This record gives sequence, structure tokens and C-alpha cells, in this order.
Amino acid sequence: MTSVAERDGKAGRMTRPAPLGRRRDLDWIGIPLIAAAGLAAYWLLPEDLALLTRIAASALFVLSLDLVLGYGGIATLGQAAMFGTGAYAAGILAVNWNNDPFAMLAVGGLAGGLLALVTGALILHARGLTLLMLTIAVGQIVQEVANKARDWTGGSDGLSGIDPAPVLGMFRFDMFGHTSYLFALAVLVVGLVVARRIVRSPFGLACRGVSEDPLRISAIGGSPKSYLVVLYAVAGVIAGVAGALTAVTSGIVGLDSTGFSWSAEALVMLVLGGTGRLYGAVIGTAAFMGVHHILAANDPYHWMAFIGLFLIGIVLFLPGGIVSGVERLGGLRRGKEGGA
Amino acid sequence: METMFGIAVDGVAYGMILFIISVGLSVTLGLMRVVNLAHGAFAMVGGYVASYAAQTAGLPYGVALVVAVALTVLATLPLERLLYRRIYGSANELAQVLLTIGLTFVIVAGINYLFGPTLKRIPLPELLTGTVELGPKAIPTHRAFVIGAGAATLLGLWWLLERTDFGIRLRAAVDDPAMAAALGIRTERLYLATFALGTGLAALGGVLGAELLPLEPYYAIRYIVLFLAVVAVGGAGSIFGSAAAALALGIVDTAGKYLIPNFGEFFFYVALILILFRWPHGFFKGRTA
Amino acid sequence: MTALLEVEGLSKNFGGLQVASDISMTLSAGDRCALIGPNGAGKTTFVNLVTGVIPPSAGTIRLDGRDVTRLSAAERVRLGLIRSFQVARLFKSMTVREHLELAVLQRDRRTFRLFANVARVAGLADEVAELLGSMGLTPVAHTAVGSLAYGQQRLLEIALALAMKPKVLILDEPAAGVPHSESQRILDAIDRLPKDLAVLMIEHDMDLVFRFASSIIVLAQGRLLCSGTAKQIAADPRVREVYLGSRTNAH
Repeated sequence: MTSVAERDGKAGRMTRPAPLGRRRDLDWIGIPLIAAAGLAAYWLLPEDLALLTRIAASALFVLSLDLVLGYGGIATLGQAAMFGTGAYAAGILAVNWNNDPFAMLAVGGLAGGLLALVTGALILHARGLTLLMLTIAVGQIVQEVANKARDWTGGSDGLSGIDPAPVLGMFRFDMFGHTSYLFALAVLVVGLVVARRIVRSPFGLACRGVSEDPLRISAIGGSPKSYLVVLYAVAGVIAGVAGALTAVTSGIVGLDSTGFSWSAEALVMLVLGGTGRLYGAVIGTAAFMGVHHILAANDPYHWMAFIGLFLIGIVLFLPGGIVSGVERLGGLRRGKEGGA
Repeated sequence: METMFGIAVDGVAYGMILFIISVGLSVTLGLMRVVNLAHGAFAMVGGYVASYAAQTAGLPYGVALVVAVALTVLATLPLERLLYRRIYGSANELAQVLLTIGLTFVIVAGINYLFGPTLKRIPLPELLTGTVELGPKAIPTHRAFVIGAGAATLLGLWWLLERTDFGIRLRAAVDDPAMAAALGIRTERLYLATFALGTGLAALGGVLGAELLPLEPYYAIRYIVLFLAVVAVGGAGSIFGSAAAALALGIVDTAGKYLIPNFGEFFFYVALILILFRWPHGFFKGRTA
Repeated sequence: MTALLEVEGLSKNFGGLQVASDISMTLSAGDRCALIGPNGAGKTTFVNLVTGVIPPSAGTIRLDGRDVTRLSAAERVRLGLIRSFQVARLFKSMTVREHLELAVLQRDRRTFRLFANVARVAGLADEVAELLGSMGLTPVAHTAVGSLAYGQQRLLEIALALAMKPKVLILDEPAAGVPHSESQRILDAIDRLPKDLAVLMIEHDMDLVFRFASSIIVLAQGRLLCSGTAKQIAADPRVREVYLGSRTNAH
């Protein structure tokens, strides 16, 4: 018991969620702003709709990671397990039974949520290094299962032939990707609204408490683990929807979608944008994938060098932890409301 | 029967490679509490240096091996001073993950820049290409060599940690860092030495295992999960734990490839979850440092 | 008077070391009891045993007639056994107001509402405003706790405990470490605690003990040395011996 308590204590110090309360006043602008920017991109960059669609779907995935890491303090390298499960569930549904895009999203979210609920209940007693390993292991298992269940998933060839029906029976997924992008953007915006709602709910408040000091939560009568499991499951639903969204808009699901690399990349994108602030997930994803698109066009290794150096720089030159550092960087608001 | 024997030999050889690389990670994780995701990159660097030394510079295999280990250690020591020292300790997982992922990316890009994206080989000397007779059975010499090298590493590490002054300090520092510092153990130097030991083992494994874990720039990312899994099951800082876990993974995975293709890893990860669920510090976490 | 907290024969061994042996005590509604004893007497251990942070080796603990010996710390909290911490243990990035919101929501088991807005939970704002007012914390309601003066943090600790509507409240050195200029407010807050509450206060400061307590329990070396009214304890030679033996200066 004592050792669990100690580990909990330590892990609590690992990530500090941004103090939300101070930013609430400006918070509501974010979502309309993202929606507007998304629409502007639609008009301004008609050649890059495929990229923009991937950004929107990935941003939703990174958003789910932000809930887990930024608001729950759970360091994970296995979030792609839920993304991939959602993607495969949606893809299998579309290929075999029902290709309605909303049904695909629902099934994807359900699958991701269920996986997160079950694995979360199994592994979230751990913290720190052990938890990190367990999340990796879950991801590897999901990938192995997907790899082996060839008949359903296509194995290493990937699951293809996903052909979603028109949205609401009206908007066909055209070859230029107009519908895909607008659909993805709409789902992302809805995801942001839902996530924001959760973060500001009594549940969100309790989760912030858990991530700071789980023992103190016990001392006011709460169970830290149940909050984390529910949070993990909710984030799993969002990750699953993001996976399903990728299946809907790209028409294929590959083994990579469950992999360690994808989990790690999501973490990088999140840190790039800033944890514990929801919009950071969108900004980080857009920046990461945008720069990736430009740099990796010539040589993917240039991109790796760039992002690698960037990560090292973040850790070294923002002392006191990434989160507080990122906060200081994006901290115009802090000064403004310091006197409140 | 023939299959069983083949599985045993290949599985043990593969397990030994996993052991040599993972135990380096285990020692640094156990002492400095750092999740070094760049450990696979260090193994890869060792492999590439050996490949260059043997193929381009034409050095004999043994010399190339020594040069590779030495150069990798020398090249990574500044990293300990400049980067790793700032992220030691168990309260820093996120910083550790990000910094070492970043370092891995840089190394992958650097290796590709220097050596190109194609597969590299380390040509084996005549001596290691045949087979050795073992009673009625014949084993590929390279496999036998790898198994021997793994066993030697195991014994050497055991001797180093149990019988030398360095080992005594290291174990003391793992058990209770504050106490060790209070007793006048220079933890900074100890960390540097341990880091060098870990990197050296990674490089050694990278060279010896080039036949089994082929050298290409994504090596660093592809196999790190495997090494981490071995450490998680074996318990951070436990030599015999790492050996047992690595051999188990090696044999299970090889048996899987022969019998039910590719399900080996699946079982290993299921076992990993069950083990970590029951023993969060690893199945074999003992007092062997 | 009904007994709210009954402790019987509570003992704890760590290996061979007996850190609490055979401690019994009773607290009734309205009681103001002080737990005193020299350093190392086992006061903190006793509190940890009663609140369920560590399990006892022997003995029973009853809360409002119900045996809670086997219940977890969180379950005891839900039944109304609340403590404040000696070193203020708060969520550094949360505001004062958010602390109280969280405590009230947790008490009412409304924390699993995922889609409700904290600002619109019925009755919450009023109750929090009242708690803030009663502790004089209204001016700092929106300040993050990390930048609060220490005395205010201690006040928040007490407010947090009260937010959970305790039956039994354990205050662990509520004024420790607070500068003299601020300590008066904490004493006032303690004076104004609800009358029907059973309060156990661990305290070193004898002035505070005599001002606050109607009864006193003295622990020494993990045992109950004696108990009685403040007057009796003040006159008890054993207490003086214990204190003079280990503490030359009571304050």
C-alpha cells in the first residue's frame, strides 16, 4: 500500500495541468476561431485538402491524448491502441455491414471507449515508468491482434475498400476531398465542444485534482483510480472516433494506426501545442503535420532531424517542466489575469 | 525433434542479443531512473560503426567490434553530460520520453545522412560462417558465438556488480541513492560510468545482433519497444531478470515463428501485462542490482 | 450525548516496534478535545490509524455507532470522518473557489457528471460563497492556491474540511507555521466551528490547547498517558514529567 501511495505522490508531480480557471474568460473564442480557420483553409488551400483532412482527424486524436495527459496526468505511449481499434471497428463495419459515416463514427467511438475502459481498469493502478510500459504493451497487443486477424483487418496489407455512404444521404465523398474535409472539420469541432464541456464539468475538476495529488482526493472521499479510468475511457471514445474519422475520410486502415510510433507522434504534437489546454492539441497537430508536409516532401529524414532537435530544445530550454514552460511561452493571458 | 532443436538454438541466440542490449537499458533505468528511448539508437550506432569499420575500412571483425563499442561509448558520453543529467529521476517521465524520442529522431536522421537508407551488413569472418558440431547436432557458428558472447556478458556483469568496488557502489546507489550520496559515493561519476556501461552493452548487442536485427535507419524506433518490454518484465536494474525475460521472449518469439507464425510476440505482451499487473516492478526484480 | 467516535484498544506494530498500544477514547457531539504529547509520542500515527491511512494491528474504531475499522480512508471520509492536514496539502494550480467546489461536489457524489457545468450546479455557488465568507476567504476566491499566504492556506484547509459536512473533525496542528499576525483568524475560525461537531485537535501550543479544549488526551510513547478536563491535565504531575523530560520549553 505504502509503495503505491508513494508512486502516486511522485507521479502527481510529474505533470502539472495548466491552471484552467484563469483562462476561462477567453476560452469560448477558441472553438469558433478554429472553425473559422478551418473554413478559411478550405478556401485558401484547395490543393491540400487531403492533408487538411488528415490534420483534422489527427487533431481529434491528439485532443484525446490531451484529456488523458493534460487533465489526468497519465503519461501514455499507447493512445494509438484506441485510435486503431476505432479505425478498424469502423472499417470492418463499413466493409461488411453498414457504411453510413455516422454509424462508423459511433462504432469506432464505442470500440475505442470499451478498449480504454477495460485496459484502463487493468493498468491504471500503476504510475510512472510501469504505466508507460503497460500502455506500450496494450498498444503492441492490439497491433498484434490486428496483424493476426487477417480475415477481418487485412493484416499487414491494411484494410481497404472502405466506401462510406453519403453524409446524411446527401453529400457524397467526392474524389477531390471536399466532403471529407468539411466532415472531418465538423467532427473535430464537435469533439472540441464535447471535450471543453467535460473539462469544465465537476468530473473535469475532480480529474485535475487527481493529476495534482491523488492522495488528497482520497482525503476528501474520492477514488483517484475511478476518475482516471473514466477519463481514460472518455478519451478512448474520442480517440476511437478519430480513428473512425480517418477510416471514413481515407478509406483505408493500416497497422501503423495502432502502433507505438503513432502514439509517440501524438505526444510530440501535443507537447508542441501545449498540454492541458485543448486548443493546444489542434495547434500542435496543425504545426507538426504542416511542417512535416513541407520538410518531408524532399526527405523524411530532414523532418526527423528538425523535430528531434526541437524536442530536445523544449526539454532543455524550458526549465521547470515542459508544461509550465509551454505555458510561459503562450502566457500572454497569465500576465493579464495575474491580479485577479 | 530437429525443429525443437532449431527453435532452441535460434531462440536462445535471439534472446541473448535481446539480453545484451536490454540489460544496458535495465542498468541505467535501475540506477538513474531514466526511460532511455534512445537506447535502441545507441545499439544501431554501434552496428553502423562496426559495419563501416569492417566493410569500408576493411578491419577484421574482432577489431571492428571493439572499435564500434569504444566509439559509441565515446560519442555518447557528452550526451550524458549535456542532456541526460538533466532528466534523471522518476519525477521526469514526460521530459525523459520527449528528450530521448527527440534524440532518437536526430540519430536516425544522422545515420541516414551518413550511411543512406539501405540495409547494412557486418561481414562475418570465415571463422564464424560454418557450423560447429555438438555431438550429433550441428549449430551455425555465428549462433554459437552469440550465445557464448551472451553468456560471457552475463558472467562479466555478474562479476562486475558482485565482485568489484564499482559494483558495490552501484548497488548501494540503486538501493538508496540518498544514503549512497551521504556515504560519500560520487554519484555523478557513478552515473557517467553506468551510462557508459549501458551504451557499451547496447553497441555490443547492436554489432553481434546485426544478423538477427538488421541494420537500417529505423532500427532505433523499430526495436526499442522490444528492449523496453524485456526490462519491464525483468525488472529495472536486475541482470538475471533481464536475462530470463530476454531468453523467454527470444524463445517464445522464435517458437512462434516456427509453429504459429508471429503469435509469439502477442503472447509475450499478454504475459507482460499480466506480470506487470501482479508485480509492478517486474517479475524478477531481485537484489542483484 | 451520543458517542460519534469510539476508539477501543487501538494498537499498531511496525515489525517489532510498537508505535501505538491499546489506545481507547470517545468523542461525542459537541466535544472539543485536544490530543497532546511530546514529539514522537505517536500522535500522527494515531490520527493515521483513526482516519484509515494505515491499518491497525488490533482494536476497533466506530464512527457514529458503525464499525469502520476495515474501511478505507476514502470510505471513512464519506461517512463524515474528516481531517485537515498538518502541512497544508492543496492543489497548487486550483483556485480557492475550485477547492471548495470540488469538496462539495465530492461530498454530494456529483463528481461523475461529465457534461454538467460546474458554474451551474444547483446550490453549489451559494454553498461555496457561504464557506468562503465564513472563513474570510471571499477576497481570494479566484486566486490560485500556490500564490496564497500560508495562513490563508490553513484557513482553506479548515474550510475544505467543513465543506464535507463532517461529524468528526480532526485538526492536525491547524496553526502550525502560521505567523502570529495571521494566527488570530485561524483561532477565530476554530471558535466558530459548528457546535454539534466533535472536534479532535492535535496541538503543541499549550495556550491554544487550553483556550480551545474542554477535554485533553495525553499520549506518550504510543500509549494513552491520561485524559481529563483541561484543569485536571494541567495539574497532573505525570504530564509535567513527560513534557519536562523531553521539552524544556512548551512554547
